[in-house]
Amino acid sequence: MQFIRQTLTILAFAMLSIATFSCQENENPTLEDSGEMIVKFDNYVGNQTMVIDEVGSTNYRYSNNSGQKFNLTRFGYYISHIKLEGPNGEVFIDEMNAAADANQIKGYYQVVQGNSETYNIHLKGIPHGQYNKITFNLGVKEDGIQEGAVGGILDRAAGGWFWNWNSGFINYIIEGHSDASLRDENRVQIHIGGWKNIPSGDETPQRFFDNNVAVSLPFDATVTVSNTLRPSPHIMMDLLKVIGDTDLSTENNIHSPAAGKAFAPKLADAFIVDHTHQ
Amino acid sequence: MKSLHNKVVWPSLVAILVVWMGCDQGSEKPMVSIFQFEKPAHFPEPTYTFRNNEVNEKGFNLGKMLFFDPSLSRDGSIACSSCHVQSHAFADTWLHPFSFGVEDRQGVRNAPPLFNLAFHKEFFWDGGVTHLDFAPILAFESEIEMDISFEDVVGRIQRNDAYKALFREAFGIEEVTGPYVLHALSQFMLMMVSADSRYDQYILGDQQALSSVELEGLVLFRQHCESCHREPLFTDLSYRNNGVQRQISDLGRETITEVSEDRAKFKVPSLRNIEVTSPYMHNARFEGLLQVLNHYTQGVQDQENIDPLIFKDGKPMIQLSEDEKTKIIAFLKSLTDNNFLSNPIFFNSNDR
Ligand code: HEC
Ligand code: HEC
Repeated sequence: MQFIRQTLTILAFAMLSIATFSCQENENPTLEDSGEMIVKFDNYVGNQTMVIDEVGSTNYRYSNNSGQKFNLTRFGYYISHIKLEGPNGEVFIDEMNAAADANQIKGYYQVVQGNSETYNIHLKGIPHGQYNKITFNLGVKEDGIQEGAVGGILDRAAGGWFWNWNSGFINYIIEGHSDASLRDENRVQIHIGGWKNIPSGDETPQRFFDNNVAVSLPFDATVTVSNTLRPSPHIMMDLLKVIGDTDLSTENNIHSPAAGKAFAPKLADAFIVDHTHQ
Repeated sequence: MKSLHNKVVWPSLVAILVVWMGCDQGSEKPMVSIFQFEKPAHFPEPTYTFRNNEVNEKGFNLGKMLFFDPSLSRDGSIACSSCHVQSHAFADTWLHPFSFGVEDRQGVRNAPPLFNLAFHKEFFWDGGVTHLDFAPILAFESEIEMDISFEDVVGRIQRNDAYKALFREAFGIEEVTGPYVLHALSQFMLMMVSADSRYDQYILGDQQALSSVELEGLVLFRQHCESCHREPLFTDLSYRNNGVQRQISDLGRETITEVSEDRAKFKVPSLRNIEVTSPYMHNARFEGLLQVLNHYTQGVQDQENIDPLIFKDGKPMIQLSEDEKTKIIAFLKSLTDNNFLSNPIFFNSNDR
């Protein structure tokens, strides 16, 4: 009797302690074999650095290919699904998670011009090895939307670029003023978003437009991730590659997937890896 | 032996249970609670992402508080409950001529009832909102609804100590952020399940629940209406044009899919609780059910994208005698779920 009682009590305690410890997350099982990389984004307008002006400013710093002058009052984009690849089959896939808890958001990044903290994407847990290519998705795909309310940089109440009437994120946002625009205050707003395609069938048209864009960039040199080496590729983004040929007198109020469709194919070409720091 | 059970076996069992459930996020609520979402037996699987937001009593009550709180509108005058009223199945009592004025979109849209939302895939008449969590963002921010940015809504909640404490209790968070406000509102709305009308009792086996006239109405309904207003939700969740606009001014689904093939199509509304949700249609064109049936049988005219089940070859497709109309209307009234309309869990508790 006594024996059974003791055994069961011990068992109970054993189980309890398993319960206590088994739920702790084991985040980085192979810490010694993984390292880091900092991907830096630098935004330009042609060969000018990008500056954000106050809303209402008539200081038009930039001009497009047809000489229409403009400035920027808001600019940025979302990056997600980052992948690194190397010459010997090395692969790193950045973990993705969309959740209400901002601390649980993984793999989503918002580059906001004017907030320099957002220019550097800090990748961790990269297996040691060599890398010479980065791939990412420009925008937020279905997996960041259909989980429902999400926090952090995806929280509409905290600066998330989210369309309320046609659910989805603005993948790439351009706002400013141009003397070519005849809207109130010469406004220009180009919001490129859209995340689903319902392809056309025999008798049905294509519905919706997915304006997420896959960007794939070779590094200018192969870099090494190790215990002591934390490389940093510099990616340059040139806005004129996207709106250089846009007529800002007519295309200054873009707010839907179909309207953004013409811009999407140009987005991938706006990014290049300028140089890599080993 | 008895005492052994009490002193030893119980703790061991509890320990085993703890281990078994320890990593399961949702296991903290009591096993039986009226604040738990339960799928009615004759309903399809819900589409809501409960894995991210399970309903519990604290979250539900918090959602209710938000739903009834006018201080979350720009001028403090309007709450969700101003337009979504329980005795009307959370539809509006009377038409507010609201339109969504964003980006040259226009239209007069009637507030739809709110129930069985856990089973819908898209929300609003045009289906532009693709997750229930996002519906309140549009309600708050719409200029003709609460006219306040969602950022300001969350700001007001953050500055309210009572709310802060309740969010801490419900979600274990120190700082209130947007997604938790939306989760609380969803928890409240998800519990609006209407599945206890006399029709449901009949479907679940009570042969006496419907009168013979109502049963004849059900047969006629299945013949003429079922293809769009499909049981048991009484909507197939598709978008159709039933010709209710005399002139197309509201583009409906086209605004969202951006193809003219969807012009003037609207989400097929459920007909549950239809007795208490007058006026009818997205543009509130009809006050009574007989007017609706008269529209289908003779009022409807040819129009761009008119549904071929409604109008084809120059004539209305639904033909009903006056007697048949009476029977269908009798059946439609058996869809009123009085337990839902008077369920005290939804009563305003904000009388602070
Ligand atoms: C001024 C009246 C008004 C207020 C206030 C209001 N709504 Fe609505 N609600 C409407 C109208 C009108 C629609 C339909 C609009 C449309 O489809 O374009 C609607 C639609 C909805 C829907 C979609 C239902 C469906 O079947 O697709 C939900 C959910 C909803 N509202 C929730 C809320 C919540 C939550 C609040 C408070 C944050 C709220 N509403 C405040 C009028 C209102
Ligand atoms: C082709 C599909 C289709 C068929 C068949 C159909 N309906 Fe409808 N019904 C709709 C659509 C779509 C709406 C919403 C139209 C709008 O507001 O633009 C609607 C709206 C209604 C409404 C108003 C609901 C509300 O909440 O405003 C009622 C009542 C109704 N239908 C009853 C019936 C009845 C009864 C039948 C059979 C005699 C029927 N319908 C057949 C598609 C259909």
